[in-house]
Amino acid sequence: MPDLDASFSALAAERGLEPLPGFAAGPLTPLLVESGAGQLAPAARGRLGGEVDGVVGQLSYARNRTFRFSVALAEVPASTEFAPRLFCIRRGRSTRDDEFYGLEARDSKLWTESIALNERYAVSTSPFQDPSWLRQLFSPAFVDWLASAPPADFSFELAYGALLGSVERDAPDAAALAALCDATAHVAERIRRECEE
Amino acid sequence: MQANRVGIGLIAFFGLAGLGLALIPVLVGAPGEVAGILASIGVIWALVALGFIVFLRGQKRKAAHQDWVFRNGIRGRATVVEAGSHATVNEMPLMKMTLDLEVPGMERRQVTRRQVMSVFAARRLEPGLALPVYVNPEDPDDLVLVW
Repeated sequence: MPDLDASFSALAAERGLEPLPGFAAGPLTPLLVESGAGQLAPAARGRLGGEVDGVVGQLSYARNRTFRFSVALAEVPASTEFAPRLFCIRRGRSTRDDEFYGLEARDSKLWTESIALNERYAVSTSPFQDPSWLRQLFSPAFVDWLASAPPADFSFELAYGALLGSVERDAPDAAALAALCDATAHVAERIRRECEE
Repeated sequence: MQANRVGIGLIAFFGLAGLGLALIPVLVGAPGEVAGILASIGVIWALVALGFIVFLRGQKRKAAHQDWVFRNGIRGRATVVEAGSHATVNEMPLMKMTLDLEVPGMERRQVTRRQVMSVFAARRLEPGLALPVYVNPEDPDDLVLVW
């Protein structure tokens, strides 16, 4: 099993990132909320890919059992006006093991024509989300990319301009972290482009 | 608000177990005092399930109305003037917000709203944040905030 610190050091050296012993992301997205304070350790800051800057780090928390994710956090502030929340989560992903509450905030499942996308992800958003903007965002090319290109356990959460890409890894190697950074940067650039249009 | 799988499970448990406790002792001929105690517990459990169902039906009606406002309302912008929370519902903060509304064809005004929100959303509700809002054209006080 790869050493976590060594993997992050290798990624930082390879991509020119600034290694950080830890990074307090805060409860910006549902996954970070599950973890409590959203503390990433270890972490690295800098260019994730393309023109996207952010932080990549390891998230670990206990909700009856311990959950571990590698995450990449980027900002897409312009998205708040178009889609305050948008979650594209790998089907079958579990983020807690201590669910006791029977009520939750209402959301809306996004329908797409892509069987491959629907088989791989559960896409949800605000029930009052403008559907035309989402249809433009989920262009055929982006849907095809989501269904085939990212790491198998990739998911992303967009909440009030904070974009969190994540994979379910206990001890990722540098290549897995690089793939996470690339996938998150790709999603961030796609959302940015759609906001600009 | 909507029920999740845990909520559906709780309704099923309290409803079925309540009916079981109320009826089975009578059907198997249990002594009167025992049957009475179990029936009382069973009725209370069944009422809990019934109360939850009534609550969810109300939430469903409210959601249907909000969907109507979303489809037929006038889209505007709500800028957060003030937001805070002193209570939570199922780990989600009950936010009290003062919003500055700008809706085409309507006078600019401030409204106060209470809304249960996810933690990640509540944290972002700082003065100056602008969110889309849909307002019922026939009732300016009837609005849905896109959060």
